[in-house]
This record gives sequence, C-alpha cells and structure tokens, in this order.
Amino acid sequence: MAVKTKPIAGGTNGTVAVALPRAREQRTGGLARFLESERMLAALLLAPTVLLLGMFIAYPFVSGVWLALSNTSVGNPGHFVGLHNFVKAWDDSIFQQAFGNTFFYTFWATIFKLALGMWLALLLNRSFRGKRLVRASMLLPFIIPTVLSTFAWRWMFDPTFSVLNWLLYRTGFIVTKIPFLSDGVYGMWCAIVVNTWRGMPFFAITLLAGLQTINPDLHEAASLDGANGWKRFWHVTWPLLKPVTLVVVVFSIIQTFSDFQLIYVLTGGGPANSTHLLATYAYQVGVASGLLGEGAAISLFMLPVLFIVVWVQLRYLRRLEGA
Amino acid sequence: MERRSFLKLTGIAGILAAHRAPAFAQGTKLHIVRWVDFIPEADVELKRQAPEASKALGAEVTLEFINANDLQPRITAAIQSGSGADIIQMLWNWPHLYANALVDVSDVADAIAKGQGGFYDIFTASTKVRGKWLGVPHGVGANAVAYRKSWLAEVGAKEFPKTWDEYREVGKKLKAKGKPIGQALGHSFGDPPTFAYPFLWDFGGAEVDKNGKKVVLNSKGSIEAVKFLQAFWKDCCDEGGLAWDDTNNNRAFHAGEISATLNGASIYIVAKRQKDKIKDDKGEPMVQDIDHAALMPKGPAGQFALYVPFQHAVMKYSKNQKLAKDFLKWLHQDTNYGKWFEVNEGYSVGATKKWENDPMWERIDKPLQVFRQAARASLMLGHPGPASAKATEAYTKYIIVDMFAKAVQGATAEDAVRWAEGELKKIYES
Amino acid sequence: MVIERPWKKWVYFYIPLTVFLVGTLFPFYWMLITAIRPDAELYRSWRAVNNAPFWTLHPTLEHFRDLFAKTTFPYWLWNTFFIAVVSTAISLFCGLLAGYALARLKFPMAGTLGTSIFVTYLVPPTLLFIPLADIIRSFQLGNTPWALILTYPTFLIPFCTWLLMGYFKTIPKELEECARIDGATRFGAMARIIFPIAVPGILSAGIFAFTLSWNEFIYALVFLSSPERKTVPVGVVSEMIRGDIYFWGQLMAGALLGSIPVALVYSFFVEYYVTGLTGSVKG
Repeated sequence: MAVKTKPIAGGTNGTVAVALPRAREQRTGGLARFLESERMLAALLLAPTVLLLGMFIAYPFVSGVWLALSNTSVGNPGHFVGLHNFVKAWDDSIFQQAFGNTFFYTFWATIFKLALGMWLALLLNRSFRGKRLVRASMLLPFIIPTVLSTFAWRWMFDPTFSVLNWLLYRTGFIVTKIPFLSDGVYGMWCAIVVNTWRGMPFFAITLLAGLQTINPDLHEAASLDGANGWKRFWHVTWPLLKPVTLVVVVFSIIQTFSDFQLIYVLTGGGPANSTHLLATYAYQVGVASGLLGEGAAISLFMLPVLFIVVWVQLRYLRRLEGA
Repeated sequence: MERRSFLKLTGIAGILAAHRAPAFAQGTKLHIVRWVDFIPEADVELKRQAPEASKALGAEVTLEFINANDLQPRITAAIQSGSGADIIQMLWNWPHLYANALVDVSDVADAIAKGQGGFYDIFTASTKVRGKWLGVPHGVGANAVAYRKSWLAEVGAKEFPKTWDEYREVGKKLKAKGKPIGQALGHSFGDPPTFAYPFLWDFGGAEVDKNGKKVVLNSKGSIEAVKFLQAFWKDCCDEGGLAWDDTNNNRAFHAGEISATLNGASIYIVAKRQKDKIKDDKGEPMVQDIDHAALMPKGPAGQFALYVPFQHAVMKYSKNQKLAKDFLKWLHQDTNYGKWFEVNEGYSVGATKKWENDPMWERIDKPLQVFRQAARASLMLGHPGPASAKATEAYTKYIIVDMFAKAVQGATAEDAVRWAEGELKKIYES
Repeated sequence: MVIERPWKKWVYFYIPLTVFLVGTLFPFYWMLITAIRPDAELYRSWRAVNNAPFWTLHPTLEHFRDLFAKTTFPYWLWNTFFIAVVSTAISLFCGLLAGYALARLKFPMAGTLGTSIFVTYLVPPTLLFIPLADIIRSFQLGNTPWALILTYPTFLIPFCTWLLMGYFKTIPKELEECARIDGATRFGAMARIIFPIAVPGILSAGIFAFTLSWNEFIYALVFLSSPERKTVPVGVVSEMIRGDIYFWGQLMAGALLGSIPVALVYSFFVEYYVTGLTGSVKG
C-alpha cells in the first residue's frame, strides 16, 4: 500500500495514511498506461465479441432485412419491393392471429416463470439435505433438448392416450377427456404450461445465484428489526435482485417472443392457427411455402417490440448504475 | 466503433461479397438426401444398394436420411447458399416451388417412362414444369381407408360404405359404441391434406378454376362439404382429431380406439410385423381384422383421392450433374428398383404402370392389394387448376384443412369458407 | 440464522418444494417409464383395464440397447458435448470481457455498441439460418462441428454479456477503486478482484450457454449431414421418427440419456456457486 505519511498538525505523533492519486509503482509505462485508458481497455475487451458477432451476425442480419424488403423466394433472387411484404402480412388474418397469440403467450409465460422461478429460488436458497441433487435436478427441464421434452409433453397431452386425462379421470375429477391440444384455447394454455415448465429453472437458478451474493447479515439485521418473511423479501432482497431479475426477464421475453421449437413440435400452430406464433408462422411462410421475403418480413415484425424491450432494460440499467 | 474492428468488418465484407467458395475437388462423391422411410427395411435396402451403385458409377455414393419435415429447411439452405447434396428427394409438387434451382432431367425421366409405360398423371401434374421434367418420379405414398372388419360388420356394414351418407350412418353407430372414426385435422403434412382436399372435391368444391387464376372456393359445393363434415365430425369422429398429426391415427388404431381411418399402408404393415404385440380385444393379432377400402366414400360430385408423390431432383448447384443423372438411371433399372419396390409391400407404389404387374402384388396380403392401382386415381394440389407454387403455398398454409377445422370447432360453414376464400385470394390474386 | 417455527417450515418450505419437485420431474419419471416399457404395452388402450401409465411390470432395457446398437447415438452424445463445451468457452470469454467493458467502463458509443449486441437477437435463427448457410459454405465449414461452434456464440454471447453485466452492476464500485488505490492497474483490478466475485454469474452464464448449445436444433439440422456428426436432438428426431411412426421407447431413452448425464455434471458446479461466495463480498 502506497502511503505518504504526514505529520499531524499540532505536534502529536502519528501518521495519517493519505490516498494519493496515481501513487503507484511505475510498471513498464507503455502497456500499463495503454490499458489504463478506459477507451483502449474497452476496445480490447470488446474486440473478440465484435469480431465474432460481426462475422456471423452482421451479414445475415442485413441479409434478413434485405429479404424482407424484396420478393425473394427460394431459388429466385427477388427485387426490391419496399414495404409490400409487411403490408401483405399485416392484412393477413393468419398473421394477425399469430401476432396476438405471441403477445398472449409471452405475457403469461413470463409472469408464471418469474413468479414460480422467484419462489423456487427463495426455497432453494436454504441449506437442506440433498440440496445439491435437488438444485441440479431442477435444471432438468431446461437441459433436456426442447424438441425431445416437447414430444414427451405432446404424448402426455395426447387426445387418445393422455396420461393426465387418465389420472384426472381415475381420480374422478373429470368425466370426459380434456381436449388439451385439440381445442384452440386449451392448446394455447398447454403451450404456456410447457414453456413455463421448461423456462422456470432458468429463472430459479439465475435468481438463486443472485440471492447468493446478498449478504445474509442484511437478512439477519432486518429480521432482528422485526421484519417478517414477506417484508424482508420486499425491502431487502428484491431491491438487490432487481438488476439480475431485469436481465433474466428481458432475456426470457426475447426468447419466448421468438419461440419456435416448442410450438412447432407441440401443435404445429394448430388447431386452425390458434397456437401459431410469429416465429412459427414466419418459418411456415418462408421455408414451407418458399416465400423467403414474406417470411423475413413476418419475423421482422418482432423487431420493434423486442427493440423496445431491450432499450427499456438498458436505460434502466444505466439509471441503476448512476444511482 | 473502434477503428480496428471496423477494418476487420469491411475486410470480411469484401470476402463475403466475392461470394465464391474456393474450388476443391468434388468430382468423386455423390450426396443424396432422402426422407427416413417409414419402412426401415426400405432404407436398409437402399443402403445396401449404395456400394453397388458406387462400383457401377465409379464414384462414392452417400445416402443421408432425414425426417420428412426437415427436408424443406435443408433444401432451402442448400439452394440459397448454392451448395449441399447433389440429389434431394422432393415431395408433392415441390419441383414447381423450386423450379429455378433444379436441373432438367427429362432425358432420364423420358427414358424411364418409355420403358415402363408412362408415369402416372399425378407426376405430370407435380413434377413436369413448363414441359420439362424437373425431377425423376420415384414413387407414390398411396392411402386408403383402413378399417376393422368385425366392428363394421357388427353394425351392419358387411362391406365398406360406398357413399358419404352411408358412411355417416355406419359411423354414428360405431361412435355410439365408443369406436369412432378417426381423422386428423391438425397441422401435419400428410394425413390432414390427403383427406381435406379429396373431401372438398367429392362435394364439388374447388380452390381455383381450371386456369388457376380465379378463386372459386366460395361455392355451393364447398359449403355443402363443410356442412357435411361438421355433422359427420360430431356424429362419427374422434374429436381429438383436431390435434392429430400423421402418427396419431396409427397409434389410436393399433390401440383399438378407432374403427376406421384414412392412412397409408403403415397401419396394416406394422400390425402384421408386430402381430404378437398388437392384439385386438379378443387377444388375436389385430392384423387379421384389418381391411382397406381403396378410396374414401363417394360424394355427390364424385370420388376423389390425393396421394403424396415423391421424386428425386438434381440440384442446379451440383457439380456432379451428369453423375447424378447416371445414378438415377441406375436406380431405376428393374433389378435395383424392383428390390426396393418389393420391400415396401405397397406402402410406396411405383411411379409407372409397369409396377402394377409386379409379382409382388400376388404375394402380399389381400388387404394390401388395394394399393396396386391406387396411384392412377390421385389428383394433385390445386386441382382443377395447375399444381403451381401458389397451390403449394395454399397447402403449406393449411388453408383447406383449417377451413374444415374452423367449421368443426364452431364457426358457421359460410364463415369458414369465406375465411378460406379470403386467404386464397391473397395468394392467387394479389 | 433466521429462526422459524417447525410448522412454518413445513408449510412454507417442504410442501412447496415437494410440489415443485413433483411438477418439474413428473415428465421425466413418465419418460423413464416409457423408455423401459416393452412395446406391447405402448399400444395399449386408454380404457384398458390393465392400462398402467405409471409403472410397468415388465421393464426392459431393449430400447436403450437398440439406441446404442442400431444408431450412432454415442457419436451424437460426443458431438453435442464437444460443440457445447467449446462454444460455451468462447462465449463466456467474450461475454466476460464485453460485459465488464459495458458495465464499468466509459467510452464513446458504449450505449450504441451495447444495444447493437442485443439487436442481434432480433432476427430469429429460424430465418438467420438461410444467410448463415451461405457464410458457412464460404468458409468451408459445412458438415464440421466448427460450423456450430462458431455460430452458436451468436446467440450465446449477447446473453452471457447481458447476464454478466447485471452481475457486475451489483458489485460495488468501491472494491475496484480500493484496489486501484492499492496500486493495481485497471486491468489487474478487473482480473483479480472483480472476476472472482462474479464467479456465480460466470457459472450461471456457463450453465445456460452450455444448455442452449445442447438444445439447439435448426443450425445443427442444416449445417451437419453425416450421421456420425449429428447432435443429439437432430439425431434422435431423425432416427426415431420414421414417416408416421414414432419409436417412443427409443425416443424417450434418447431423451433421457441426452439430459441426465448433463444434470449430474451440473450438480457439481451448482455446488460451487452455492458455497463460498457470501464470504468474499463481506471480506
């Protein structure tokens, strides 16, 4: 520790350690000073990311935007058509249904995932026997490839063989089979359930890690002050968890809003388009019908919404930083 | 953006703009992509033939099998990036969809047609584009109505009902006994459309006129069809069918949940091959009780069918086009094709009339013999209009299937038809 | 320690935890039963008297055996593992550095750069795969694991960056400032003080990056073609689903083998960020 001692005025013996700016051992000047500069360090740190993303995203992204503004179809390079694809999509009733479905799906799935994930994180934050195994096994829904777990769910909801129907029937809760996937409304809720099942561990584990960095002394202090569980959560835990929660929620919104695999495997968008999302419809139009331009336009409709979400989050984080 | 990164980006952009892969020797490998055949033995047979083909052609033939649903993304990526497999299997009328990226293989196709008595009409509609063969027809996945003989007999139907009205009466009695008819109406590429289109045609409905220019869906025939299905569904069908994909009816049939369903030969063939596992309620192998009706019942306007044709297309970006054509010629030689054909036992039928006379038909079980001439009957998407890329778009958007699905879920027939008409108009008339 | 009464423990802890466990793991139990169930039972009717969805009296390992004997499943496991590990490593590296830079350093265009990294999420992979196929071809990476190792970071890095940014923000600035006063360079403070504290974040990000790679489907489908190079999701789906028949036993066996080993490995890492971190923030 570099200190400079100063005799205290008044003649008493003693020293005071004063932190002086730039009082450090001089290393080899060049590199050290280079890395001291915030800008240079930032450039260095960001270089690998920018490089990779630049190479593998910038071109495809621009290409995707170009596709949306053209009438390209598979094997046929198209020409510029302006916003025609966007207008055509907007007028299309299937698109409108998919658009609405996507909001509905994202909204409810995110709420459930956040609430259940937070609750689970709080539960897992304790010490108990077998906690390691429990914590790891809770990750299973997230680990198993979505394609495969959705097949399993599909069979659990199967109109003919549903094990859930069997269970409810045998325990007397229902008399006729619940049309899990054959009814439009039920189908959407089933998709939300599967998405929640799959995504909740993600919330739980990330929030758990966040909880772990909160000093338990704070909890103790609050408890001694008479705060009960809920108050402790709200006043002590929640404020410290906000940044991490925000990150996780925003990421989850983006993933859920652009969700593809789950719906594709579970219902294919049916019955009668009642579970189609923007991503699945865009895929259907772009790949199955070969209309790449229109498909790209449909998926770009997601962009403004997601952009707003991202922007709000970044602003909030910057505000937190400033505070 | 930092200068360093910017320079890197523009440099790379330059490389990408040049847009050419450095040339490398590719002349000795032929890459073929096909779907995973439902009959595993058929794929085994093809894999067995691959080394023989390699020897005959002097090149290495590699076969890759992927899920049918995954064919299109592979084709799309391959065409757009200009590289991938040399031969890719096509289904339905995809040659129309990908027309600009496929090689004209009329020389190979015409030769086969001449030697074997001509291809079925379904191929002329689906694979011949502007007078050129853009794929070599390979086979047809035909379907028929598989049904439980004893159950139909119990309700008084000694043979399969001939008209839709009769079928409805029979179905009512069956459903009352807890053994409904099963039909998929979900978003799946095989069973739902192969039912929905012919059903529409049976009542006189159609998507477009003969020229493929005007949408004529909103007609008396279509509305009648929808109304009939609404009643039929409630009276006779397993209502879970709205969520079914191509596999559900197989499973339901094998579990004894439904009494009849439109399907390929797979229900029968699996029941036969697993007769110790698939039994009926008396404990006997179910296969003894299964029979097929070659076509769905007759409607007021006729009796129609729609099957899935498949072809092999040579991709324009391929550097081995001649080799690919030679391979296809080799594949269709009687000895080679014949072996594949026989292993299929009727699940996939031949592309030409010649294979109707193959001795295999005498040998296989009687219920499977209905598939012998099945391919003659089939029409194509877009009928009576041309099977163009627009017809494909209507098919991939499940417009006709969803028209029925919506009606069955509660919309009025007129509304459902009007909705479908609107969607079709956007495709055909925009 | 916050003390609480025993009945509270049951109501607020044990019971909810059990419900969570059952809800989360029930599908796996069901998958396990299906994977060891003989084929004959898989065809049994819903209403059959002996329909037993939750157990089987004749467990069999034939599906697992067939999975290994008749398919190239071990290759898929290895491929998926290799690709996931390397892409995660790359993404964590980039994400760590980028997250720190965006969270702590002031430089021009910080906001724009930060935003543009996340903008990359806004065109979904279901259409990005088409132009990406072009790039993969240009770099001649087709049908190699590198096609995936270099493209997976496109959706992993933004997430890692983001998550780690969040963690960095919760670490008080004073820690670095003290370190710098003590004579550390900015770089040194970053590497030696901040990164260790962010280990739980790094582990979280790592776990999720690994899982997202493990899970990915469409790029793997399009960029890989030989059966020995495929990944678990693509391989299982293409081999076990033939036309209109699902081979449920093997499908579920593949699903289980493709996830439980990963969970077991995770159970060791989870331990790390549970213990030992509250200490460093204090001290």
